[in-house]
Amino acid sequence: MTHLSMEALLGLREPGLEPGAATAREHLNQCPLCQAELDRLHQRVARLKALPPLRPGRDRWPETAARYKAERRRRRSRMAVLTGLATAASLAVVVGIGRMTQPASPTGEELHQTMERSQALENALSAYNPEGRVLDGRTARMAQELEDRIARVDRELEATELLPQEPPQDQLLQLWRERVGLLDALVDVHVTRASNAGL
Amino acid sequence: MDSSLLANAQTVVARARTGDPEALASLYRAFEVPVYNLARRICRTAEDAEDVLQETFFEVCRSIGRYREEGSLWGWVRTIAASKALMRIRRNKYRDTDELHDEFVGQRQEDTHLRMDLEAALERLSETSRAVVWLHDVEGYTHEEIASMMGKTPSFSKSQLARAHARLRVWLGEEGTL
Repeated sequence: MTHLSMEALLGLREPGLEPGAATAREHLNQCPLCQAELDRLHQRVARLKALPPLRPGRDRWPETAARYKAERRRRRSRMAVLTGLATAASLAVVVGIGRMTQPASPTGEELHQTMERSQALENALSAYNPEGRVLDGRTARMAQELEDRIARVDRELEATELLPQEPPQDQLLQLWRERVGLLDALVDVHVTRASNAGL
Repeated sequence: MDSSLLANAQTVVARARTGDPEALASLYRAFEVPVYNLARRICRTAEDAEDVLQETFFEVCRSIGRYREEGSLWGWVRTIAASKALMRIRRNKYRDTDELHDEFVGQRQEDTHLRMDLEAALERLSETSRAVVWLHDVEGYTHEEIASMMGKTPSFSKSQLARAHARLRVWLGEEGTL
């Protein structure tokens, strides 16, 4: 008597009707050896399911979170370039009209300059590549704290962009200034650490 | 999984979508072990599995805004994890061929009295076979779903599963007719 192959036995466990399933079932009903084999297969799968979960040897969240934050910051930076361009374009119109009518508000121009400064600092950080370097504990903590604060400012900036009406420019300016200040400090932390360590 | 997260899953997901670091950390804590377990069962080394864990949650953080809540949150995270683990085994390009395993089976045939435990036997399977066994038998994916994730056919998945079980049966010292 030809017994069922492993593939045929596995096919019997599938929810749909596998090709040859009817014949295989017919054989199974008459063959105690194949029934025992199917039982062993069920038991093996049950044992696989019952294996204890394996746990990671170390916490990977800090690295994952830092990588995500850095990516958000880069995304924010790219958005800033686009927003900056849009602001510059609208500023040109405002200044053009302003020259004809009244003096332009300095806020728009300052906002544009602050965004540019933010972009320059992002570029400096990107060139320095802090993620690819090993930091001592104190520097890492300081950098992490600054990254957290930058992330908070970025969330606030994103929230203002979701507002149905145009956000007040002085509010945007304040957030961008805060961002530049924090980025400045972050560059300082990395560069000071690099020069102290002679890197 | 962390039941406190599951009870507040909607709130946590809503907060995670805004980039709230605490909510994202909660997602990580809730699914860290099942994701790592899945990755570790598929990947050859603990380091690879940890990398898959990180890749998975990086993707979760980036894509949580696209999670539509149509299926379970774990189902969504698990699909990302499975896909990252399969990408990892493809990228590693280990000598994941049957040569090693046939050689090993040859040795085993001489000392079939020596039983292996299930963990060790699972570890001995090729990465591809182990991935199919784990995804199908434990995680409950269909052959069609596995084939789609692996870029192969359902027949490939079925034959990998059959060969893997035939080997496990021998290595576990299970007596039978096949």
